[in-house]
Amino acid sequence: MSLVADPLDRIFAGNRTYAERTVQDDPHHFSQLSKGQSPEILWIGCADSRVPETTLCNLKPGDIFVHRNIANCVHTDDLSSASVVEYAVAHIKVKKVVVCGHTSCGGANAALSDGDLGTTLNTWLHPVRELRRKHKAELEKLPDDAARAVHLAELNVHSSIEVLKQHPSIKRAISERGLSLHGVIYDIAAGQLRLLEETGNSKKSFGLWSPN
Amino acid sequence: MRLSLGFGIKWDAAVGGGVKPFKASGTLARSFSQAASSPQPFTASFARKQRLSPLSHNFASSRLQPRRPYSSRIMSTEELDKQPPQEVKKYLQQSHDRIFESNKKWAAEQKAKNPDFFSHLNAGQSPEYLWIGCSDSRIPAEAITGLGPGEMFIHRNIANLVCSTDLNVMSVVNYAVRHLHVKHIVVCGHYGCGGVKAAMTPQDLGLLNPWLRNIRDVYRLHEAELDGIKDEEAKYNRLVELNVVEQARNVIKTAAIQQSYAKSGYPIVHGWVFGFKDGLLKDLEIDFEGQLKDIQKIYNLTS
Repeated sequence: MSLVADPLDRIFAGNRTYAERTVQDDPHHFSQLSKGQSPEILWIGCADSRVPETTLCNLKPGDIFVHRNIANCVHTDDLSSASVVEYAVAHIKVKKVVVCGHTSCGGANAALSDGDLGTTLNTWLHPVRELRRKHKAELEKLPDDAARAVHLAELNVHSSIEVLKQHPSIKRAISERGLSLHGVIYDIAAGQLRLLEETGNSKKSFGLWSPN
Repeated sequence: MRLSLGFGIKWDAAVGGGVKPFKASGTLARSFSQAASSPQPFTASFARKQRLSPLSHNFASSRLQPRRPYSSRIMSTEELDKQPPQEVKKYLQQSHDRIFESNKKWAAEQKAKNPDFFSHLNAGQSPEYLWIGCSDSRIPAEAITGLGPGEMFIHRNIANLVCSTDLNVMSVVNYAVRHLHVKHIVVCGHYGCGGVKAAMTPQDLGLLNPWLRNIRDVYRLHEAELDGIKDEEAKYNRLVELNVVEQARNVIKTAAIQQSYAKSGYPIVHGWVFGFKDGLLKDLEIDFEGQLKDIQKIYNLTS
């Protein structure tokens, strides 16, 4: 019997190993976690399997509150992400909100094509296609599709941050307790996070977005 | 699933034999920085990764090692609020920089172990699993299942809900099933879920009301059973489980799943619950075929 026979076995075996090792390392780890969470960061990222936030940030359970969807979009009319933001910012009181796009994003690639993705994905990615339309000239100047996908992912991160800035709880948290928003791109080929520069501002804050 | 669990135990025991536990001395943070500064070959996880897919090769050991190269201490919100403004600013800058420092370190580690690690990932993804879980920071799906980058497609929202009118989750399911052809879909809840608790609280939560309404609806569907449980915590735990079952059912109701299953025999939909007490996943043993048959009486979208 091969040890890779059933993909579900891997998960359960992996989970048992994880639980066992964690307890060996710190017998109180789980009892501490069961008391509650107080993450400092809300991460809005892509569902892409290659961008597991906690792993690639070398962090631990309890560190990052997470929402992941197709192409890390935050749409004004999306109740799911709005609820995540409300819960994380107004109730858990995270200190940072990170929107993370990434290179070779399937969503960005799809938005660059004119293919019919089915009604669900067409609708979800419509705002990204709108970004492509608005930035047609600058996208066309880029050398290849990979570069265009990266740039579209960057534009999409900025766009998500623009939407987040209008969220009532975020507005309040920015003025009352200095919450900050950060746009980053994860480079899959390098395994590295890159901060995006602030848009429309000569003061380069390396993505450290501040309302003041 | 029972078989696979038994298998998991056996496998684990074999692997566990060679595990040298990390010294749990000092504070958690200290033992982390120790681990980070003295990288030791992790024999057990090496054995493990050899047996798993080639993808899990390179990060298995680092993933299972405790690590947290934090130079600064984590402050509670209450504590931070008492600090002078410049201290707050400094603290925020540090907590921000920490991620980039950790990430650089992690990337360098992966590269040192396998120079092709990232270029392999860059070529594309073909995950076997779609995970629909809670946004709660304590349940990073890949970490608690021992999987690495490239292995699991992940959607996380408040209380792992799957609503047919939510374009967000529907896009994820659609993409995972129709484009990535995942083999398993896991809806994973967890005991002690803040979202479920909030939904049991008679309080106006503003913007969260419409989202949490879905959990109140789960209660209503199982009102008789839940009302019969007198112990509050037991009732709350059961609602967490029933919520997972109902959300798994909602996944099965989609056209993408029904059509793919009819054509290819996958994906299979599962309902699990993660417990903080022991860090283990509990399989609610949803009878996928039975549920599918039951659901298709009304929600059949295969033709």
